[in-house]
Amino acid sequence: MRIDEKRLNKTSSAAVLSAGNGGPGSNTTQEVVMKIKFLPCRSLYNGMARAVTVMLILAITGGPVFAWTLEEAAQPYKGVTIRTIGEALPPLEAMEELKASFEQRTGIKVVIEMYEHSEAVNKVMLDLNSKRGRYDFILQPHRELGRFVANGHVEALEKYLNDPALRDPSFQPENQLYQGLWKEISWYEGKVYGFPFTALTMYMWYRDDLLNDPEEQAGFKAKYGYELKPATTWQEYTDIAEWFTRPDEGFYGTAIQGKRHEALWYEWLNFLYSFGGDMLQVESGSECGPVIVNSPEAIASLEYYKSLMVYSPPDTLNYFWDDVMALMQQGKVYQLIMWNDATYAVAEDAEASTVAGKMGFDLVPQGEGGKIGQVEGWTYLIPSYSKNKEAAYLFIQWMMEAQQQLDQHLNGGATARPDVYAHPDVQKISYSKASMDTNAVALPKPTIPESPQITDILVREISSYLSDQKNAKEALDTAAAEISNLLGDCAPMKYPAAQ
Amino acid sequence: MARAWRTAALAAVIAVLLLLLLPYLWIFLTSFKTRLDALADVPVWVFTPTYDHYPEVFINKGYLPLVWNSIIVAVLSTALSLVVGAPAAYVFARFDFTGREDLFFFFLTTRMAPPISVVVPMFLLFTTLGITDKPIAVILAHTTFNLSLVVWMMRGFFNDIPREIDEAAMMDGHSQLGTFLKILIPLAAPGLAATAVLCFILSWNEFLYAFILVAFEGRTLTVGIPGLITPHGTLWGQVAAVAVVATLPILVFTFIVQRHLVRGLTFGAVKG
Amino acid sequence: MIKRRMGAVLDRGLAPLLLIPSVLLLLLILVGPFLYMVWTAFTDLHYALPGRAGSFVGFDNFRRLMREDQIFWHSFLLTLRFVFWVVVVEFTAGFSLALLLFHFIQRRRLFLTLLLVPMMLAPVAVGLIWKLLLQGDFGMVTYYLRWIGIIDTRTALLSDPALVLLTIIFIDVWQWTPFVTLIMLAGLLSLPREPYEAAIMDGARPLQIFRDVTLPLLRPIIALVLLLRGIDAFKEFDKVFILTGGGPGTATELLSVYTYRVNFKDWDLGYGAVCAFMVYLVVLILCAVFYKAVFWHESRAPARKA
Repeated sequence: MRIDEKRLNKTSSAAVLSAGNGGPGSNTTQEVVMKIKFLPCRSLYNGMARAVTVMLILAITGGPVFAWTLEEAAQPYKGVTIRTIGEALPPLEAMEELKASFEQRTGIKVVIEMYEHSEAVNKVMLDLNSKRGRYDFILQPHRELGRFVANGHVEALEKYLNDPALRDPSFQPENQLYQGLWKEISWYEGKVYGFPFTALTMYMWYRDDLLNDPEEQAGFKAKYGYELKPATTWQEYTDIAEWFTRPDEGFYGTAIQGKRHEALWYEWLNFLYSFGGDMLQVESGSECGPVIVNSPEAIASLEYYKSLMVYSPPDTLNYFWDDVMALMQQGKVYQLIMWNDATYAVAEDAEASTVAGKMGFDLVPQGEGGKIGQVEGWTYLIPSYSKNKEAAYLFIQWMMEAQQQLDQHLNGGATARPDVYAHPDVQKISYSKASMDTNAVALPKPTIPESPQITDILVREISSYLSDQKNAKEALDTAAAEISNLLGDCAPMKYPAAQ
Repeated sequence: MARAWRTAALAAVIAVLLLLLLPYLWIFLTSFKTRLDALADVPVWVFTPTYDHYPEVFINKGYLPLVWNSIIVAVLSTALSLVVGAPAAYVFARFDFTGREDLFFFFLTTRMAPPISVVVPMFLLFTTLGITDKPIAVILAHTTFNLSLVVWMMRGFFNDIPREIDEAAMMDGHSQLGTFLKILIPLAAPGLAATAVLCFILSWNEFLYAFILVAFEGRTLTVGIPGLITPHGTLWGQVAAVAVVATLPILVFTFIVQRHLVRGLTFGAVKG
Repeated sequence: MIKRRMGAVLDRGLAPLLLIPSVLLLLLILVGPFLYMVWTAFTDLHYALPGRAGSFVGFDNFRRLMREDQIFWHSFLLTLRFVFWVVVVEFTAGFSLALLLFHFIQRRRLFLTLLLVPMMLAPVAVGLIWKLLLQGDFGMVTYYLRWIGIIDTRTALLSDPALVLLTIIFIDVWQWTPFVTLIMLAGLLSLPREPYEAAIMDGARPLQIFRDVTLPLLRPIIALVLLLRGIDAFKEFDKVFILTGGGPGTATELLSVYTYRVNFKDWDLGYGAVCAFMVYLVVLILCAVFYKAVFWHESRAPARKA
């Protein structure tokens, strides 16, 4: 038997390091071996071989300890510059601040390019398709994942996670991240491609100060016959929106993000899911399946969605997230459904917002679909054409550490680490509970290569309906037919379109 | 009677001018307004100005280099277009050859080509050549429309110079090339300057090529503006500040070349 | 003597020498990409979908455009409507203004310069300026329109499907009417005096003179203005993209906006190339008309003097 020395060394340190995580002083050799089984392995044989070698090594040496350090791991990449691109959001701005510490410790320079949402997506598409490898890692919305994977543009991370020289043993995404969010945002067809940069979701925002105003409460009860409280059903949501709509005072019950823009689709998804509908009949985002976007539930949700327009300011068909957030900051709207990464600027930041400290948050009201939420993640990915993949991996791994995640989260990020949510500083934030509750019931959305096109079709059709160019059924029938056509045989229409 | 007409006409013209200038004035004012004033329900005309937006966006947000990038791209693209285009214009003005008008028409079509139809292949071509993300990529792209502008405008200016002058120069012993370089170019200098300024303006204002072809570090001002529309609120004060800085030099230049603008805008068909 | 002979040799090859660099440059950076675009139109190239690396598919993309794509033709008609109104309104307003300036105002320099401001601004900046002015909640223009009573408090110009195209047209009119004024004024100033003197001798009334003398004399310049505006309006993209993104619904989805979507949202580059090609084709036709109408005679005759 030929002994591969390199392999031996690597495997041994991996085993030891993994042992070190089990808790100080609690490891027996047997436990270590048990753990080894859970190390990600390419094959059973490989795993067995490792286990055997590790046992051998441990028996011989009695378990030497090499502590993994970032400095040491980064040694070979000193002086390298890695470049990334993402949407100019507070968590990315936080990364810009944080990176100095990483640069100092590793000698790896990090350059961050910040663009507006669709510009960031476009730049990456061009870069990947030209295969020029400008970016060493990228930050992208997870709906883009399928098209990257299917075209071989991004690298599966298994080999970095399995490389003891790179893998920080204390980094255990399988224990440290919300598994559902991680799988949804960064996995595709059973393989891991990255880690969540932000795990965004939407929930209901309302004006807590007005909710608790005795005058409002009395008036509301007199008119509707029940107590004013945060809406849990859509009927309540409508009633409350109607009650607070006072155009003469420039105050409105809600604000719909009706511009022909991705924001429209995201917002409608809350209604669609809550009414019990979906776009495709699938279990996970990377699957293709029957098109159900024109189901009766979907049509009902769209009609309901439009019915709220009368409680929304006149320019509602020209709003996207930016506009409704500004309205909220100026105290012109009572309730809406909005993103968690925008919450900080409205609810906490007294310099930018007139309603800081006056906001309440809760799950989206429930319909047939029960408690729901949507996942919208931005994920770290490593392009296949990157020239500094290892250095990029080290940086990503470092960013996923609890401390960096906490810093980002407190600056308006949305982490996927439960331990960060458990931190007292985070618990204090007014929207933490709503954010966590929604994360727990978040539904997947398509990440297949065609998904951005599905979005574009739906945005157009919903926008046509909101602007009275079509009725709800026509709009969704058209969308369903186009989506089915786009996806091909795997996606028949379950609800035939009316002729 | 005539006087009354004249007054009425003057009033009408001034009214139209106000209407045309008001939006620009408003963006100028907005660049000095606090967020509260900028987003006020009732338009605010009189306010205590804040001077924060300019330093905030150009220094703290690092937009100052974008001004420099815009200048580099515009100046070099203009220079390249002139150096390559003016001789071609001279040929069109002074030589007769088969296919001349067809070739001239070809130049016109390049000016008219919708950028959207060629920007992706151009990106791929430049990537193959290894020049995407470098300023030269945008400079070359802007040359596609500036070059034909130069050819069209300068042909007109050269046509304005009587041929007798060429002949006299040749008699004095100048070669034809010498005549072009030493006699015609200086004579056409005002036209050359006007053309240069127009090229500069077109390049400075361009968005799509610059956006697709340029690197983050090389962003021009027009490419930088959308970056201020953030998910956390459009920073109108800062957007306005950038818009003012991006447009003021253009207005100054417009004053300078106003006399030759007509010719530039009509590809030399009408002389101002 | 040697110098002179060198000069003679140079002179013989001078025309090609001076001409070729510009032609080569254009061939490389514009015609090359353009031909690639035309080639792409016959392939299935798609950046988002796997297995669509750009195999030859013949006229499939063209067939799809002709038979299946209703949105393209909707956009096409919409663009024609946009171009028609923009050109008509800008021409009428711009020409009127030019006549006012020509007949009644002597010291025009300052007016003309100020007039140029809107059309010299970067289109991106223009889009943003109007986005700010037309905001439904705090926009300055919205406020005064409501105050006058032109629109009610439930209406916002960029949100209203019935008004949004009109609004976009208006913004273009705002930006480009000065262009028409400028050119038409230059045209008026370049007219010869003799026909007028003859007409006045014949006792013609001002309106008659305008109809029988001014308009015919200005015909080439009118053709020029209409075509230049038509071509640019047909390519309109930046402002609309920033202001509405083509919405609400497809109410302002001009051809260039649709082409952008196919290329840069769907990344369906094969089909996108066909759409781009159609835009190019229309522009090319307008261009050829422009050239024939405006330059053909002139290039054969001595240049008109200002």
